[in-house]
Amino acid sequence: MKVFKRAMAIALSACMVASMTAGCTGSGDTGTPSTGTETGGTETGGDTTGGDTTGGDTTGGSAEGGTINVWAFTDEVPGMIEKFKEAHPDFNYEINTTIIATTEGAYQPALDQALAAGGADAPDIYCAEAAFVLKYTKGDMASFACPYDDLGIDTQAKIDEAQIAQYTVDIGTNPDGKVVGLGYQATGGAFIYRRSIAKEVFGTDDPDEIAKIIGSGSQNWDKFYEAAATLKDSGYGIVSGDGDIWHAIENSSDQGWIVDGKLVIDPKREAFLDYSMELMENDYHNDTQDWSDAWFADMKGEGSKGIFGFFGPAWLINYTLAPNCGGTAVGEGTYGDWAVCAPPVGFFWGGTWVIANKDSAKKEAVGQIIEWITLDCTEDGLQYKWANGTLNGEGGTKDCVASATVMAMSDGTLDFLGGQNMFDVFGEANSYANGKNLTQYDETINQYWRDQVRQYTSGQKTRDQAIADFKQNVAANLDVTVE
Amino acid sequence: MRKKKTGMVKYGKYGYIFSLPFAIAFLVFQLYPILFTAFIGFTDLKGVVPGEIHVLENPFENFQQVLTNPVFQGALGNTFLIWLCNFIPQLSLALLLTAWFTDRRWKLKGQGIYKVLIYMPNIITAATIAILFKSLFDYPVSPVNDILVKVGILKEAHNFLISKGMARGLVAFIQFWMWYGYTMLILISGVLGINPEIFEAAEVDGASRWQVFWQITIPNIKTILLFTLVTSLIGGLNMFDIPKLFLLGGPDNATLTTSVFIYNQAFSGSYLYNRAAAASMIMFFIIMFFSSILFLLLREKDTDGKAKYTGVSKKSEKKGGEA
Amino acid sequence: MADEVKEQNTEKTELAEGKKAIRVNVVADKNAGAKNFIVKFGIHTVCILLALLSIFPFWIMIVNSTRSTVQIQEHALSLIPSTYVIQNFQILTGKSFNPAVGLLNSLIISTGSTLLTVYFSSLTAYALVAYDWKLKNAFFKFIIGVMMIPAQVTMIGFYQAVYAVGMTNKLSMLILPAIAAPATVFFMRQYLYPTLSMEIVQAARIDGAGEFRIFNTIVLPMMKPAIATQAIFCFVNSWNNLFTPLVLLTDSKKYTMPIMVSLLRGDIYKTEYGSVYMGLTLTVLPLIIIYLILSKYIIAGVALGGVKS
Repeated sequence: MKVFKRAMAIALSACMVASMTAGCTGSGDTGTPSTGTETGGTETGGDTTGGDTTGGDTTGGSAEGGTINVWAFTDEVPGMIEKFKEAHPDFNYEINTTIIATTEGAYQPALDQALAAGGADAPDIYCAEAAFVLKYTKGDMASFACPYDDLGIDTQAKIDEAQIAQYTVDIGTNPDGKVVGLGYQATGGAFIYRRSIAKEVFGTDDPDEIAKIIGSGSQNWDKFYEAAATLKDSGYGIVSGDGDIWHAIENSSDQGWIVDGKLVIDPKREAFLDYSMELMENDYHNDTQDWSDAWFADMKGEGSKGIFGFFGPAWLINYTLAPNCGGTAVGEGTYGDWAVCAPPVGFFWGGTWVIANKDSAKKEAVGQIIEWITLDCTEDGLQYKWANGTLNGEGGTKDCVASATVMAMSDGTLDFLGGQNMFDVFGEANSYANGKNLTQYDETINQYWRDQVRQYTSGQKTRDQAIADFKQNVAANLDVTVE
Repeated sequence: MRKKKTGMVKYGKYGYIFSLPFAIAFLVFQLYPILFTAFIGFTDLKGVVPGEIHVLENPFENFQQVLTNPVFQGALGNTFLIWLCNFIPQLSLALLLTAWFTDRRWKLKGQGIYKVLIYMPNIITAATIAILFKSLFDYPVSPVNDILVKVGILKEAHNFLISKGMARGLVAFIQFWMWYGYTMLILISGVLGINPEIFEAAEVDGASRWQVFWQITIPNIKTILLFTLVTSLIGGLNMFDIPKLFLLGGPDNATLTTSVFIYNQAFSGSYLYNRAAAASMIMFFIIMFFSSILFLLLREKDTDGKAKYTGVSKKSEKKGGEA
Repeated sequence: MADEVKEQNTEKTELAEGKKAIRVNVVADKNAGAKNFIVKFGIHTVCILLALLSIFPFWIMIVNSTRSTVQIQEHALSLIPSTYVIQNFQILTGKSFNPAVGLLNSLIISTGSTLLTVYFSSLTAYALVAYDWKLKNAFFKFIIGVMMIPAQVTMIGFYQAVYAVGMTNKLSMLILPAIAAPATVFFMRQYLYPTLSMEIVQAARIDGAGEFRIFNTIVLPMMKPAIATQAIFCFVNSWNNLFTPLVLLTDSKKYTMPIMVSLLRGDIYKTEYGSVYMGLTLTVLPLIIIYLILSKYIIAGVALGGVKS
């Protein structure tokens, strides 16, 4: 089989070089790497008409056929592409999916190898998660990402039309200022609180009123801590653990962890030490850690004291709060007892970006898929179905999407939120989120930072010692200058 | 001893022939990676998409950086500490169980089931074990906390996993618990390889259990004991799964072992392959140093043991000489 | 848990003292029977405790595979099964991969590498024990040396090599390297060194048997306990190996069972813990079966391994 493939590749390579340079829309970099050319031959080798159908326009690209390699870390995006194929019967490419989990940190090494190696198995489309997307759009692997413009997409016009959340565009823009990655989901965060506790303590559960009480959009935490003190007097905690406020604090900083290769502790991030200590000393929380049993218990209101709210995006409501609220209908557990309002400081949490390989031989087809997923703001586009939960039939999960245009057309009303339309809040939250203070090392550095903050708040070491140890960890493990 | 038999030389070529498959497989699959690692320790290879490789002006720069790195020094200390705290009880318990389960006069009922069950923790993946122990000791709600509070030992839930000593102790305990069954099976298989007639002879002579175990069993499994000590040293100093998965090397690097350190150098963001390789080579030399000591110590005792044993009974001496 | 260990330890010392007492009195003592009973009772107590500790994680795992994700998130540990077996199984099989294929791939890789490891390691060990050849000691030292190299970083070179020659997605790349297993050779050599009787080998030679035949028909059966032990360890290791297959096998038709479980766990926004545990349970079941089959060589008792002269 292998010998056969190789022979095919050699026999067809001459014709392929011609067809591929003709096929790619004027971006000269496709034909250059020799591995890409050779394997391109094995890919589309079965299609003898490949040479003459490459007209250059979109329909011509579809007729060509071949295989598109998709790399992802869950089956979410591959599932969407299935739906895309169902909706576009004339799209006659085979999709070859590779899914590698991010657990054990295996996705990135495998993806990096596959991108660097090129060839038949090289990904045409690949997904990156918020924790490591920077590496693929701005960082060490950015050189592999293909600008959306080169995929035959009128990117800027489409972004404006769909009103794509700015932070997702910022993250997906490469150092040359070109958009190379966008998402479908928007993960701007809100404050998600318990209506019953709000009524009892503040006399109202109206999102606008609660927003004022916790200082929504104020860019500082003063009001929030005042509210925490009030809640404490009634025996409630404002959040479950310090991890809940971390995402907001992280995203509010003016600078990322690394500026010009040097470690920077932004004053707003450094203040997390004090905010976390304040929560601890004043007993404003249940001192849980995110994703632990106790954290989930607080969603049901079964922790050591009642917890007022959580910070999170829409997916936290759908996949975490709702299943763990202790019921599936209003009146059961805390179901229906929740509402969302804007957070004191804008932030986002998680998300998936879709990127194309600049060496892909099927840019037209890749462009069609990516446009449908990330930029199509019509009712036939993915995002409309995603927002209304209709991708896999009626009654699916409603989720926030990157396009504000789509959200305005859609209905985000949830029984879980007592009938509130969450898109009203999340549309705004998406615009507050900041995509400019991230670095590709955030996952690692955040882990060191939060470890030291816990050491400090639990009384194991002093504030200065915690900062010194944090710096030492960063210096010891990363190629970053620490002063 | 018996290995210096006449006619051995004639068959010497079979030594080469029979080790050939190993040698070939090693050359094909392992030699390149090992040489590669040894080499890149002296170079500037780092980053996701490494550029051209250059040998550094000061070829030992990476080694110096690793050795003077306080985090590496701490990791080395943790590794030895956790290994000792796990290995000493592990070997003791494994020896005790081996003595029980191979005792010919007791013929312990149900020992088959015990042997099977005791090895079981080694079958489950480290990731599952890590999750399990994390849930057991979690804070503020976890079974251990709940029980301790209910019984009245603790007034309120205690965050066990934030204390360095407790975290190290737990990692050592998990390692102990996952591996004592393995060690026991190794030792038992060694005992099963001993010629039963030696035991029979000792029984006829009226040797006590204590004597049989220390003067027959132990000397006869000395080679296997050496294996256990050396492999456990290697495994222990390369300890990775549990420290990595249980608490990510935390809290405050308390359970950071050198292997986790090496992994972090290579994969936590900066892809410092060169420093990771240098750290690997340093660990290689440390392990080799301690293994050599073990080899030296046990080689001498090997003949001692046999000599002592011959003193116990003339009859078994005769048999033993035959074996 | 620490308390339990302490308890066991004190029990152990008590037992050791008990044993000593017996030894002093030797056999004739009238009380010996009673004491023997007490000692045995103690031993059984310790063993039962250890056995329970060993079963505990399996029980938790199997129970969790019957519980819903929400139940698991509320209380990660429970001793009482729930009723979500079918749902969890449906989520597991509803994914883009097929657990049956995963089990089959795992079985091929683990069986293949186990057979290669035990056979060729025994052969190499036999070469190291039975023959005198010039490079013997150097070769043995070399094997020990190779064993000491930390695995984490040599991996990088291995992947690069495999990618460079385009051998990803080949199960053979996970099987063939098993021919060279230094630790197993070391064990086999340590086992064979005091056990092997050259008289028997000589006798066979006189009967006209070839060297290869002697190894296969006389030496291999002699090594049964060692082979069984190493086969178990090798099989378990290979079966549970996640990282190497994860990076080398990117085609979903080649996935092993642990890869599939890690995919389930990797769905960060909505991890279905119930089906993760279902996957873990399905992963471990074949292992237990293989282990039980092989363990009869360890359980069977003393008669198996010895050299009959």
